[in-house]
Amino acid sequence: MVSTIKHYVSVASCWARLAIQRQLEYPLFLFSWLLMIPIQYFSGIWMLKIIVDRFQALNGWDFPQLTFLYGLGLISHGIFVVFFINTWSIDHMVINGGFDRLLLRPMNVFFQLVASYVNFIGLIDCIPGIIIFVYGAEIAGFEWSLVNIGKLILVLIGGILIRAALFTSLGTIAFWTKRNGSMVGFALTMLERATMYPLSMYPYFLQALFTFLIPIGFISFYPAAEFLHADSGGIDLPLSFALWTPVVGIICFLIAGGIFKFGMKNYESAGS
Amino acid sequence: MDAVIEVKDLVKEYIIVKKESGLRGSIKSLLFPKKTKFNGVNGISFSISPGEIVGYIGPNGAGKSTTIKMLTGILHPTAGSIKVCGISPQADRKAVVRKLGVVFGQRTQLYWDLRLGESFELLRRIYQIDQVSYEENLAVLTDVLKLHDFMNTPVRQLSLGQRMRGDIAASMLHSPSVLFLDEPTIGLDADAKHAIRNFIKEINRTRGVTVILTTHDLDDVEQLCSRIIVVNNGKIVEDGPIGSIIHKLTPHRMLVVELQEPCQDLTTPHATVIKQEGLKIWYQFEKESISASELIAALSQKLPIQDISVKEPNVEDAIREVYKTTATV
Repeated sequence: MVSTIKHYVSVASCWARLAIQRQLEYPLFLFSWLLMIPIQYFSGIWMLKIIVDRFQALNGWDFPQLTFLYGLGLISHGIFVVFFINTWSIDHMVINGGFDRLLLRPMNVFFQLVASYVNFIGLIDCIPGIIIFVYGAEIAGFEWSLVNIGKLILVLIGGILIRAALFTSLGTIAFWTKRNGSMVGFALTMLERATMYPLSMYPYFLQALFTFLIPIGFISFYPAAEFLHADSGGIDLPLSFALWTPVVGIICFLIAGGIFKFGMKNYESAGS
Repeated sequence: MDAVIEVKDLVKEYIIVKKESGLRGSIKSLLFPKKTKFNGVNGISFSISPGEIVGYIGPNGAGKSTTIKMLTGILHPTAGSIKVCGISPQADRKAVVRKLGVVFGQRTQLYWDLRLGESFELLRRIYQIDQVSYEENLAVLTDVLKLHDFMNTPVRQLSLGQRMRGDIAASMLHSPSVLFLDEPTIGLDADAKHAIRNFIKEINRTRGVTVILTTHDLDDVEQLCSRIIVVNNGKIVEDGPIGSIIHKLTPHRMLVVELQEPCQDLTTPHATVIKQEGLKIWYQFEKESISASELIAALSQKLPIQDISVKEPNVEDAIREVYKTTATV
């Protein structure tokens, strides 16, 4: 058991090192990413401020609370993009026969898929997220106690797992449909709408959808509501939401892993 | 000796949706899909002993790649059983795969933007090869495949021949007992082909590696394989030593005769005239009925012969014959 873990860690760290080297080969890309991403996110938060100032708080969420929520969503997105970006290519790999080579190696296929590329450039996504979150935490009066920090870390891990589960499940559909549906863009939009804005502003059935069926509400909305004692919308859940998120995350991730394994049985490779 | 590969009644079924042409056809196939079942592999059985070099050949679409993919655990069979080194790839993929080396001629397992050596390092970790064996192995492979010159070059800058050699080395790092080669010499120049063929003969001789070669290059087959399995329409149509298959399918030889002067009567009861170009005549004769020297003697009694040569049928002739006779109408 221990030797297996050592084995997987050794391979994962080799891949991480190679990923850095590969990304260093293309410095121009790094540079343009460095410019684009902060502009995108800061303009997003600025737009929120304008809306809130001009009109009124969104469903009882004032600007500080919205900033906190927005930042929290950004951080879990940023870290997800660093470690799990390969889940976005599952459908391409199914169609191109990219899994052939992974099946020929004596290691778990899903692990190979995820660990084979660590998207360090994605860390840049995290920077505006952290800035916005910390600012939001300040103005919203979030207490940086040890307990809260611990809860925050659990929430982030849970959020990342839920995102990973979502993209993995969507990608696995390709094992059956065998077409390039590219649900990635659709999923990203859905995630943005449900994690960067208060869920409580949507009609009840959408809140239920994003709580019970596709639990992306747990990524940032419910935790943020819990941390800031803000209105969590039409659905009341017992216990601290910060505890729910990592649990939901683990369950979703395991389910997605199972779907992926099942999908692999249907793998038909490609042509020659 | 236990067979290293044992395949029994292997079947792989595909479901094909019949698509009709045009817009109406597309809509129709969307709403009322007409599905047919098709067996890409339709009952294949064979067994391979350790140390054999087997050519696994057949026309395009015959089911070769499908079989190989099932043997290597990439695809799951619909029916039948497979045992590689005594283990079923479907039951324990990781255990089987540890003993296999696989090279796909048209796809590389090397990292495009990194130095060749980096890909090897990754494989060392994936296969958990101990440092001593790894270095020994790498030294031998570098030497035989002549990798020194480009070990530190990014793979995207390598020529096809270099990349192929790199891929072959990569597949052998973990000392597999079985090597699957899918079109290993495709697109390579004569020199590179020669180097790779020598390498295969060498590892088979020194390490007893069993080699299964899938290729359309029948020179590869002729030079390397002691046995060939011919597949067509998902079934095995020939399986045996290469010499006897050639003999069975093309039991004739060719005698090319060049005359000193034109002649009217070229016929002989022992052979048939296949072609005539000016003073050059091609005679085809059965190996069983007459020997070359006897035919030459018979012909020189009636014809003024200037020059002679004897041509053997080669693998290509035999294989084309198989494809022809076993093709579905």
